[in-house]
Amino acid sequence: MTERNGERFRGWEYLLFAAAAVLTLLLSVCVGSVGIPFRTTISVIWRGIWGLEQPAGTAPAILLTSRLPRVLAVMLVGASLSLCGGAMQGLLKNPLADGSTLGVSSGASLGAVIAIAFGITIPGLPFAGTMVMAMVFAFCSLLIILGLAYKLDFSLSTNTIILIGVIFSMFASSVMSIVITFSGEHLRSITFWTMGSLQGSSYLNVLVLLFALLLFGGVILLHARELNAFAIGEENARHVGVNVRRVKLIILIAVSGLIGVCVSIGGTIAFVGLVTPHMVRMLVGPNHKRLLPASIFGGSIFLMLSDLIARTLLNPKELPIGVVTSIIGAVAFVFIYGSARKGR
Amino acid sequence: MKLKKLLAILFAALLLVSFVKTPAADDSFTVTDMAGREVTFEKPVEKAVALTASDCEIIFALGAEEALVGRGEYCDYPAEVFDIPSLTSGANTNIEQILALEPEVVFLSMMAQTQEQVDQLEKAGVRVVVSDAQDIEGTYTAINLIGQVMGKQTEADQIIDSMKAVFDEIKENPIPGEKTIYFEVSPLQWGLWTAGTGTFMNEVAEMMGLKNCFGDVAGWAAISEEQVLERNPDYIMTITMYFGEGPTPEEEIMARPGWENVTAVKDQNILNLPNNELSRPAPRLAEGAQLLYDFVVESEAAVALAPAA
Amino acid sequence: MLTVRNLSVSYGDLTILKDVSFDLTPGEWLMIVGPNGAGKSTLINAIVGGAPARGSVRFEGREIRSMKPQQVARSIGVLAQSHAVGYSFSVEEVVRLGRYAYAPTIFSGHRGEEEAIRKALEETGLYEQRHQNVLTLSGGELQRTFLAQTFCQDPRLLMLDEPTNHLDLVYQKQVFELIQAWRRREDRAVISVVHDLSMARAYGTRALLLDHGQVVVDGTMEEVFSDEILNRVYGMDVRAWMGRMLAQWKEA
Repeated sequence: MTERNGERFRGWEYLLFAAAAVLTLLLSVCVGSVGIPFRTTISVIWRGIWGLEQPAGTAPAILLTSRLPRVLAVMLVGASLSLCGGAMQGLLKNPLADGSTLGVSSGASLGAVIAIAFGITIPGLPFAGTMVMAMVFAFCSLLIILGLAYKLDFSLSTNTIILIGVIFSMFASSVMSIVITFSGEHLRSITFWTMGSLQGSSYLNVLVLLFALLLFGGVILLHARELNAFAIGEENARHVGVNVRRVKLIILIAVSGLIGVCVSIGGTIAFVGLVTPHMVRMLVGPNHKRLLPASIFGGSIFLMLSDLIARTLLNPKELPIGVVTSIIGAVAFVFIYGSARKGR
Repeated sequence: MKLKKLLAILFAALLLVSFVKTPAADDSFTVTDMAGREVTFEKPVEKAVALTASDCEIIFALGAEEALVGRGEYCDYPAEVFDIPSLTSGANTNIEQILALEPEVVFLSMMAQTQEQVDQLEKAGVRVVVSDAQDIEGTYTAINLIGQVMGKQTEADQIIDSMKAVFDEIKENPIPGEKTIYFEVSPLQWGLWTAGTGTFMNEVAEMMGLKNCFGDVAGWAAISEEQVLERNPDYIMTITMYFGEGPTPEEEIMARPGWENVTAVKDQNILNLPNNELSRPAPRLAEGAQLLYDFVVESEAAVALAPAA
Repeated sequence: MLTVRNLSVSYGDLTILKDVSFDLTPGEWLMIVGPNGAGKSTLINAIVGGAPARGSVRFEGREIRSMKPQQVARSIGVLAQSHAVGYSFSVEEVVRLGRYAYAPTIFSGHRGEEEAIRKALEETGLYEQRHQNVLTLSGGELQRTFLAQTFCQDPRLLMLDEPTNHLDLVYQKQVFELIQAWRRREDRAVISVVHDLSMARAYGTRALLLDHGQVVVDGTMEEVFSDEILNRVYGMDVRAWMGRMLAQWKEA
């Protein structure tokens, strides 16, 4: 029976990753643009959890309504994007696959921009219009990109799919520019939106993200074995009895759903989904039963730290979080591409 | 800052000198634009293009809009500007499109346009006048400059005088009590941006005795929500546009969780100036300053009355 | 065991297979031979539903097209020509996937799993290497890893698509010996596409000669491997060439 545990995540490994994530969370909550003593921070959060009377001053407002929901949203977005990246890299057997390299994020952005520009809303549910549009566009983008890739090169080789992803990204950006040109008065809010920000995330956003991660992330986690099969080879997956078409569709829906929710709340945050699964793979190996849970933790840690840098480096100014992840991500991208070509 | 002001005054002086030197015999005259370039005209301009929104506003304020044959795509004030053919601007500027209109002069700002574009236009025989006002003093220079070129010197002087009158009135009666203001350029939903030093909003705030919460930030910048809560402004001015659906920008700010203890929110001291009144070097700066000043004065009066009531 | 009737595959105007019919009974090792482009690999694919085909393929009386993928995998194992694994999985992780068809969800591990994996690893001589990274394996070891995965599926029919094409002679023989031992157990059969006629001759119990997507001869090794037929289909003196190959074989 010890053999069986060898494949799954061991209990202590979960504990280790979870402890690292919780420590990062604590660090992110304690350190911020406004310096608040550690004791005050802990006391405010403790009182906040139990609904006790808060001390006077700005600390409770800063911690409970600004910093904490933002850090939680960052944590969940990081976990979601990283999980999606890990799933895509397995499904397509392609180490460079990710929402941003495949153009899914651009597609989702396009959906959101259209929703903002044409004022598409769902009555009673602010933000839902943007979110649903982002999800639908993310899924359609994936279908278009994969459809084109299959048409041009059935083996879905790394080069073809990345090339098509980049082309699609550019296409989506141009369409976005056209939409923005026609949007007239909504222009300013769209311009700011495309820069991406998790600032001002509310607890409602956090709940939506958590729900999406539980639902779509749960679906992805349940398909860890199938993803292993795909990562070894799609033909082999069919031979061992994987329902290739159905599983692919399910994973793609889950991934676009999750990316759509993340993009509609935080804008496009590049490279998290690409880089973290790689770092995690070096630690725990390619088996998705271990890789996926570890990616969830790894992605949340990576993005929380990036956000921490974004919030504090140029205090009181903020850097866009995407800038920080892209700088780290670009360096890692070159490194990964280099080692992938050497055949690892 | 000081250096900029000094330069602006120097330019103004130069302009004056060049004006005086202009021989009265023929109609030709030479102006020095805000990039320090000397441009000579045979006669007042009858066909002009303005790529920058502020230049467009100035031309309208001068009453010289008849001569305007083209305008930059982002020129949006006053409403009549939309009757004038729109041109791409900034990095997408289409030189051919401009040349096709056969203007005698193109007004532009080096903030948005490039030196190459200027060179191209001049090579094609079109005069280029650069207006790059960074502060109110510079705005006077720009108005004066454009007034000269368009042959509307008297109108320019009138506009500058009336602007000065408004600002002087405000300067003479500053808001007492070290009140602070936070300028919101982008709302929380898209990530907060504010206007710091070197912006018209900051200059106007200082003029009326208000302290900009983010005086330690230069230009427009993204800032943390927590910093706003910590700095607890007495006033908030937002420039967010309202599209007629959902909460207004003021309501949206007041409804933000955690902001209920910010003084400006508690006292409902939030003003929305969504039409670039305080973002452009144009005559409307005075209007914007007046609106903000009146709002603060009224709010202060209401607070002063409240304890008595 | 397997009944194939009028199986045809075509892509647009291009017909790859035309009305192929044959039966397979337990204990047989059917060698599918024929020149390049005869449609051998397509036939293997079409039987497990990997190619868009018309006609009927029944396993134990059940139409394969109506079976669930997992059911098919429990009945028929397929060993592909070559494998390009994307990531550094271990031998054991690849082999474990052979048990996928026996556990409906990720939670339902089953009792026989570890035992089946160990047995498959031992049979293929990979038990000591079970933790090795598959990217560091030799071609022969990699092919044995996937053979172990197929064994793990515990199928009744094994289908091989030129399984030893890229291997050295020694490894080719090793793989064929393993399959031979597996076939001799109760109620099992093998279909393989083999390029190398000498190899087909050495292990097959029956042969199916395909040419231009159609069955030319279906019969015993002697019937199919007659000089007249082979020379006609391949357009060369196959016998002399086979003799040379067989000599090499014996040395190996």
